[in-house]
Formats: sequence, structure tokens, C-alpha cells
Amino acid sequence: MEPGGSILESIGQEIIGVMSPVSICMFLVVLLVYSLYNPATATNAVTIRTAANLVYMESPTDSTAQKLEGSLLNAAVFIIIIALVTFLLVLLYYYNFTNFLVYYTRFSAFAVFSSMGGSVLLSLIQHFNFPVDAVTFCILHFNFTIVGTLFVLSSGGPIVLKQSYMVALGIIVAAWFAKLPEWTTWTLLVALAIYDLVAVLSPGGPLKLLVELASSRDEELPALIYEARPTVEMRNSGVRGSTLGLLVGGISGDNGRSTGGGVELQAVLRNDNNNGNENRDGESIINVLENGSNEIEVVREDVGESSPLIGGSNLMERLPSPSERRNNDNAGLLEGNTNSRGSRENESQREDFAETGLRGLKLGLGDFVFYSVLVGRAAMYDLMTVYACYLAIISGLGCTLILLAVCRHALPALPISITLGIMFYFLTRLLMEPFVVGASTSLVMF
Amino acid sequence: MAGRVEWPTIDGPLGLSHQDSVAYARRFFNFGFLCLPFLWAVNCFYFWPVLRHPNSHQSHPEIRRYVVGSAIGFLVFAVILSSWSLTFMIGGNRLFGQVWDKLVMYNVADRYGLTGLF
Repeated sequence: MEPGGSILESIGQEIIGVMSPVSICMFLVVLLVYSLYNPATATNAVTIRTAANLVYMESPTDSTAQKLEGSLLNAAVFIIIIALVTFLLVLLYYYNFTNFLVYYTRFSAFAVFSSMGGSVLLSLIQHFNFPVDAVTFCILHFNFTIVGTLFVLSSGGPIVLKQSYMVALGIIVAAWFAKLPEWTTWTLLVALAIYDLVAVLSPGGPLKLLVELASSRDEELPALIYEARPTVEMRNSGVRGSTLGLLVGGISGDNGRSTGGGVELQAVLRNDNNNGNENRDGESIINVLENGSNEIEVVREDVGESSPLIGGSNLMERLPSPSERRNNDNAGLLEGNTNSRGSRENESQREDFAETGLRGLKLGLGDFVFYSVLVGRAAMYDLMTVYACYLAIISGLGCTLILLAVCRHALPALPISITLGIMFYFLTRLLMEPFVVGASTSLVMF
Repeated sequence: MAGRVEWPTIDGPLGLSHQDSVAYARRFFNFGFLCLPFLWAVNCFYFWPVLRHPNSHQSHPEIRRYVVGSAIGFLVFAVILSSWSLTFMIGGNRLFGQVWDKLVMYNVADRYGLTGLF
């Protein structure tokens, strides 16, 4: 009898490995928005023309119909740009320009860290009047940027450093995206959720093609993908059966437009073979998901190469648009541990099981960004909406992970969470907040 | 415990192998001289087991050389930078006079038009 909770331990650990960076990213974006957002100046500020508000620059004096129409146009244009860039990425990958993609991703990460990250830091310094001198700031910023560029895509550094830099990338891009005007932001999120769904699940979708190409070549995707630390199980008791390696990947904005990645969830079964015994536990979930073989699935480490940002620099008047900078956000691409194919010969490498490269759950950076954008927008209204949206997004992510366990192929991570998040935001704002505020000010409840 | 220092990196079985580690340690150490003390810090952090267990029988003397060098470099840099930075922050106007206003970051950013972008 399997000690209770051992399956939950491993699956729970993997799920937490994805949910904690998402939560940290959202928390820090909320903090940033809270400290730096000033509603009075925000509405009057000159917004830079980015790819996201190419067609219609929202201003607070427009009528509702105008805003709705304009934001729908903005969203449509943005999705078209993202789709084109994604197809371009698929083409480049198909013709084996993978090196170019990697370098482009590195360049875009460098651009994000240096320019966008630098302006975020400067705004923080100015807001809090932090008396740091120019020399120290430049040295620290330079170090941060260069080390980030080196480690965010390589396979050589500490895993926790790579993960932290990925989260930092997500925070910076989300903070910039949250500055978009309100109507545009909401329509953009809805449009991206739909695009993600289509791009990952439909047969001709670019993200689906990309994932299939990558898995057929047994390579890592050339994109920015957050990978959770693989849970290495080196138990000698042989009690554990296979661990479910879930991959949730979303590809966002493959081509720098960073939007819309689909989340691809690919579930991979990993066999924990410490002994020769493959005793699958009787636990139903594992049994259902197990393929019944005793082979060790060696998952290669996917280095989420960021998709190159193919930005139209002519679109940017001042700074490159945040969407352009996000080249490598592979939104919501959940990649599970794949590579079970070549695993038969690895049975002999049981001791080297850990060395052959376990994979953890993967979540595309675009998912991080758009979850944080949603929560950041909610933070611009009230804390109540922040709590509601955070819970909605986390439960959406949990549902997606469960679906991943069932479907075992790449799944989009954006749709469920964004739908729940938007629903909860508007319900909270329109229904719950008047009730709670009214009841507490009248000292009736709360 | 012989098994403890089996892996030279902090990631253990998920990190680099012994052979790759020497190359990486050397690269981090050399690149750190390009005004990148963070790389030295990363070097020390990544190969922490090598620093921590100098007397194990698998103590990787090649890696250890670079890691100790990185540690020394990073400490020296940290001392210099923090002493300068703290003096600047705490001393302020009283100590530096006019120069303080010229050197503080938010003024420098203002002068070059870098504020207000975000």
C-alpha cells in the first residue's frame, strides 16, 4: 500500500513549481503598479504609440462607443501582427535557422533588461527619492543586464538564477503592458485568449506547428519558456511509480509581439526507475496516465529559446514597444517532458537517470506576462479586484494543469485563466464592491 | 561523506558534469574581469559545494582555483562599491557639497531626459 500522499507530493510539487513563480510575478507587478500608478497623471500622460495601440490612441474624452470600436480595432491589429510574426517564426524554425532565433532571443532579452528594465528602475528611484549615485546604479544595472542576458537562455548556470531572470523578464514586460489604456487592455486580453486557444489547438495553428516541429526533431523550442525545476526522485525503495511530468507551455508572442502564445501542455510520463522494478502504484490517476511501459523517459532539457522578436522598429516612435520587446515570450506554452521516444536505450542508465536531464513543467513567458497584466489592471482599480483576479487566475491555471494531465499534449494556458479573471474582475467591480463598501460604511457588515 | 561533493554544482544531479564545470568556472572567472562582479558571485554560488568541502577526496582542485579567485574578487568589489555607495548615501550634501547633486541618479536621469519614460 503506497503511503498516502506520495503521488500528491510529487504532482503537488510540480504544480507548485509552476504556480509560485506565477504568483511571485503577479505580486511584484501589483507592487510596482501600486507604487508607481497615479491615476491623475496616467490619463493625461502622452502614451507612446506601440504595436498594441497602433490604430487607436485612447483618450478619456472619447465616448463609450468610440472606445469600444477603437479598442477592438487595436486588438485585431495586434493579433494579426502576432500571428504573422508567429508564422514567420515557424518558417524560420522549419528551415533550421535555430541559431538565428537563439541570438535574436538573447538580443531581445538584452533589450528588455536594459531599456525597459532600466526605465522601471529609474522610475522607482525617482518615486522613492532613493539617493543612489549614478556610478553605482550604472554598474549594478550593467551587471544585472549582462548576467541576465547570459543566463536566461543558457543551460549552464544555476537553475534558480535562470528562473529568477525569467520572472524578472515577465515582470518588466507586464509592467510596461499594464500601462496600456484600459479598454485596449481588456479587449487585448480577450483577443489573446481566443488567439491562444486557436493557435495551440487548431490543426493549422502556428504554435501547434511549432511544438510539433520541435518534438519531431527532439529539440528544445527556440523561445523563452519558464521551466520548473524537475523533481528528481532518487528513492531506492522503488515505491514510487512514475511521476507525471506535465508540461504546460504557452507560446506567447513568438515573434516579439510576444502575445498570444498558446499554452501548450504536454504531459510526459516519467518513470522513476531506481530499481528494476517498475511498480506502478495503484493510484488511479497514475495508472490511467501511465503508458504501462517500464521505460525511462528521458526528457531532454528544454531550453526555452525565446522566439526571436521580429519587431518592426519603424512602429516605434520612441522606445520599442513592449510588445516588440517581447519576442521571446512564448506565451503559455506548457511543455511537458517529452522525449520518451529515445528512452529505451536509456534503461541502462538508471543511475544516470538524473543526469540525462529531467524536465519540469514548462510555462511560456507570455502566460506570466498576461496574467500579470490582468492583475496589474485590477490593481489600478482596487485591492478587492486584485484578490478576486488572483484567485481566478490561479484556479484557471490549476484547471489547465489538470487538463494537461488528462490530455497530455500541449495546451493553451491563457484561455481559462483569462476568462475567469475577466469575469471575476467585472463581477467584483460591478457587483461586489458596491455591496461591500456600502455595507461597511453603513456599519451593517464587514 | 563522499557522496556529498559528488556533484560540483549547487544543482546537484541537474547541474553540470565534472568536465563541463571546469570550462564554465574558468569562463565565469575570466569574464568577471570585464566589470562583471556579478559573474564572480554567480560562480561562487553555482559551485558552492566545491567551496564548502575543500577537504573531500573529490575536491576538484581545478574548479576550486577559479571559484576561490571569484570569491576573493567579488568580496573586494563588494567592499569597494559598498563603501563608496554608503558614503555617498549617508554623507549626502554635507560631505560632498554641490557634487552630490550632480552625481545622484535621479538628477542625472533628469538631465539626460530618461525619467518619465515608464
